[in-house]
Amino acid sequence: MKTSLFLWCLVLATPALGAPLANQDAVLQVLKTIDYRQHNSGDYKSLAYLEQKEKDKTDIAREALIYRRDEDEKLMILFTKPKGEAGKGYIRLDKNLWSYDPGTGKWDRRTERERIAGTDSRRADFDQSKLAEEYDATSKGEGKLGQFDVWELELKVKPNTDVAFPVVKLWVDQASGNVLKRQEFALSGRLMRTLYYPRWQKLYSESKKAEVWYPGEIRIYDEVEKENSTIVVLKSVDLRPLEANIFTKAWLEAKSR
Amino acid sequence: MLRLLLQVSLRNLFRSRINLLIGAIIFFYTLLLVVGGAMLDSLLGSMSRSIVGTVSGHIQLYSVTSRDPMSIWPTMGNEPDLSPMQDYQRVEGAISKLPNVKAVVPMGINGSLITSGNTVDLTLAELRGVVREEKENGKTAELEAERQSLKEHVRQIVRVLHTDLGRATEMETTEARDPEALAAVERASSDAFWQGFDEDPYGALEFLENKVAPQLPDGDLVPLRYVGTDLDGFAKSFDRMEIVDGQAVPPGRRGMLLSKFIYEQYLKLKTARRMDLIKEAVDTGALISTDPELQRYVHQNAQQTREILLQLDPLKSEQAVRALRASLGRSDGTLPELLSAFFAVTDDNFQARYAFFYKELAPLLQLYRLRVGDVLTITAFTRSGYTKSLNIPVWGTFRFKGLEKSPLAGNISLMDIMSFRELYGYLGADTSAEIQALKQEAGAQAVDRTHAEEELFGSGRKVVAEATPGLIDDKKAFPGTAANLRRKDLQQRVFDHAEISRGVVLNAAVILKDPSKLKQTLREVRELSDREHLGIYAVSWQDASGILGQLVMLARLVLYVAAFIIFVVAMVIINNAMMMATLRRTAEVGTMRAIGAQRPFVLTMVLSETLTLGVVFGAAGALLGAGIVGWVGAKGIRATADIMYFFFSGPRLYPHLSISNVIAAMGIVLVVSVVSTLYPAFLAARVPPVRAMQTDE
Repeated sequence: MKTSLFLWCLVLATPALGAPLANQDAVLQVLKTIDYRQHNSGDYKSLAYLEQKEKDKTDIAREALIYRRDEDEKLMILFTKPKGEAGKGYIRLDKNLWSYDPGTGKWDRRTERERIAGTDSRRADFDQSKLAEEYDATSKGEGKLGQFDVWELELKVKPNTDVAFPVVKLWVDQASGNVLKRQEFALSGRLMRTLYYPRWQKLYSESKKAEVWYPGEIRIYDEVEKENSTIVVLKSVDLRPLEANIFTKAWLEAKSR
Repeated sequence: MLRLLLQVSLRNLFRSRINLLIGAIIFFYTLLLVVGGAMLDSLLGSMSRSIVGTVSGHIQLYSVTSRDPMSIWPTMGNEPDLSPMQDYQRVEGAISKLPNVKAVVPMGINGSLITSGNTVDLTLAELRGVVREEKENGKTAELEAERQSLKEHVRQIVRVLHTDLGRATEMETTEARDPEALAAVERASSDAFWQGFDEDPYGALEFLENKVAPQLPDGDLVPLRYVGTDLDGFAKSFDRMEIVDGQAVPPGRRGMLLSKFIYEQYLKLKTARRMDLIKEAVDTGALISTDPELQRYVHQNAQQTREILLQLDPLKSEQAVRALRASLGRSDGTLPELLSAFFAVTDDNFQARYAFFYKELAPLLQLYRLRVGDVLTITAFTRSGYTKSLNIPVWGTFRFKGLEKSPLAGNISLMDIMSFRELYGYLGADTSAEIQALKQEAGAQAVDRTHAEEELFGSGRKVVAEATPGLIDDKKAFPGTAANLRRKDLQQRVFDHAEISRGVVLNAAVILKDPSKLKQTLREVRELSDREHLGIYAVSWQDASGILGQLVMLARLVLYVAAFIIFVVAMVIINNAMMMATLRRTAEVGTMRAIGAQRPFVLTMVLSETLTLGVVFGAAGALLGAGIVGWVGAKGIRATADIMYFFFSGPRLYPHLSISNVIAAMGIVLVVSVVSTLYPAFLAARVPPVRAMQTDE
């Protein structure tokens, strides 16, 4: 889905930051701002570190390359470390999420609820933000998160939209417009995950002609298995163009050959 | 005097109604004990044969460092957390030397859910494999033929989908259908798309996989529980196991033997499976017209013909239409209509249609999602926490004789122990070091969830930072793997017995030469483990079988409690009856005392009368009980539910009577008789001679 530059300028021009959310339009603008700031018009590549902690188990660490082409809604995650995990990956093509294992050479279709590589993370944690497109939001007032003044929003999934969790609560920093905390709920109302975003970073994008924001660190706490948690650190982001045919199964298969 | 007492006892045996009442109680009590005891013993014997003969063996060994006790059928369904044995090779060597040990079989049990994917996903994956093979190794006539066949199959699937969507569009509003999905199916149905397929096969495949395949329902998840073992040793030690399809895994090769039960239940074409279930039921006397479950199968078969339609290309469709029209005596009708009509079977035509299905339609279909010789991909969570997937060739299917229909015995498949170890995946020293290095480099500190907000957003924290543009070198980050070479190497490599014994073994089954010496051998194994520091627990099949072992204990407990309750009730009734009888005989006893009978004589007389009652009526009860057990034993009790096959160790339970059942029953009956007569006998002995004269007055 291509959004015109005009619309993005409109979003940017919205005087939302630092002010109370007076109406539904202002709430929507907050979401659009969050989405826009993380969107890149060109390609995106990052080197991510994932650490999974589980009760009575040794910590599991992984490194992965994350490739995105937001304009075509494409995403690929390619695990690179440790050696036993290297070559495993995920590709999102349209509404399909595929998982690949070079050990078997086979592709498996996965759902939005897939725990990426068995961690508490989901596909959407690594992909472009599409909050305004996927959810309807309402303001739940203002509050404090640590020392930060935040807007509290409640999001409900739009009809016929496939997301991992249908209800989401956001705590958005009034000063920077970044999401600092996110809670996700099942349809039954049960809290499933709590996420914290303690560090947001930005880079200038030549293709976008604006800054691209990304969470430098995500702390994910499993609310069902309370002992489980995941840390995601985006160690580096590279906005140079990627190979044209990178988002194909054949490319990922070839990487493991 | 003994003779006199016997004469008196026999004379009095049928003299009073009360004696007959007591006799009847003894008769039925003995009958119940003999029949109940024989039934329970037979049932327990059958269950033990099922448990011992499938996986457990007579004794199970596992490491003393395990977190959970060994449980082959865990109560909550979760596999027990067992640690590998420290040195299995030494354990095997030591235990094998014990005189009563016939064999020691290494094992490990785990489970996984395998996703079978929908029909089009599976076919497209096969087509992708052929395209890849052609790109890598060059085209051959064989690959060309396979590619064309698979393309035809995909085209057929698209045709069915196109027809479905056309029908749905006629019935629904246009808004209800996703226009993008409709356009994708239109494109995939066009001749132009297929003519251009070979020019860009990967592009065409990705289009089909991502735009067309999601429009079909997802495939099923198949639960797969497997025992990793020395397959050769297993087959020799567990002689109830027999190969049904394919062949045994050759010694030293990797592979899997799927349980025939799982193969039929989950991997067979659903329509064919339902036809089989109807056939089984009808052959045992059930009627479609009266059995709601059979009617449901018939209804589902008549309604759910799509899976068959997806499999039939135009040529096969034509053959099927011809055959179906001939069978149904019709001259028209489309394939979906004919299939629906054909599967709407009744009691009158079922047998003929069942035979026709397997003779005419089945050869046109792929009856199983996975064929013998195919490769099965299993993904499991390893002990290191990472997931591990493995391609394992399926060499055949197997079953345990007599337990073909048992879900408990049938939910276990067999795998070579080398593949099991890979799926089990311990964290090696090199991987541990690699993980430590990764953690150190990332420098992410753990934050406790209770203080997370304070630590992450407290005073002095900044949440926004400029980033330095990173230049990520993909090739350096991931130089590639030789995964496909390794895959081929694993399939071809042959391993020897030493490799089987050297690696990770979670538990082991010990097969005994003489199972009756189980307790003694168990003691010897434990002593040996202590003496030689083997670090193993040894438990009997009953303790190792988890929920089933508890069932055996429960069954015993129920019989003992029931016997005790009946024991008490019988004792009270006999006691009361004897009291009444004694009171009625006051004059007689008084007279006997008056003519010189001493108290011990009277006491012994009453007791011997009851003992005679017990022996005579007890023997009659035991005789009838033996007759009933013999009759039922000759006929057998039919297993009416699948679960009962395991308890009966086959389709029928054949109860048998052992002499111990009769001795135990007679012993209990005589004890009950004597104990309940003690007090009345004591009262009788205290009757003074004067009482006889008083009564006369």
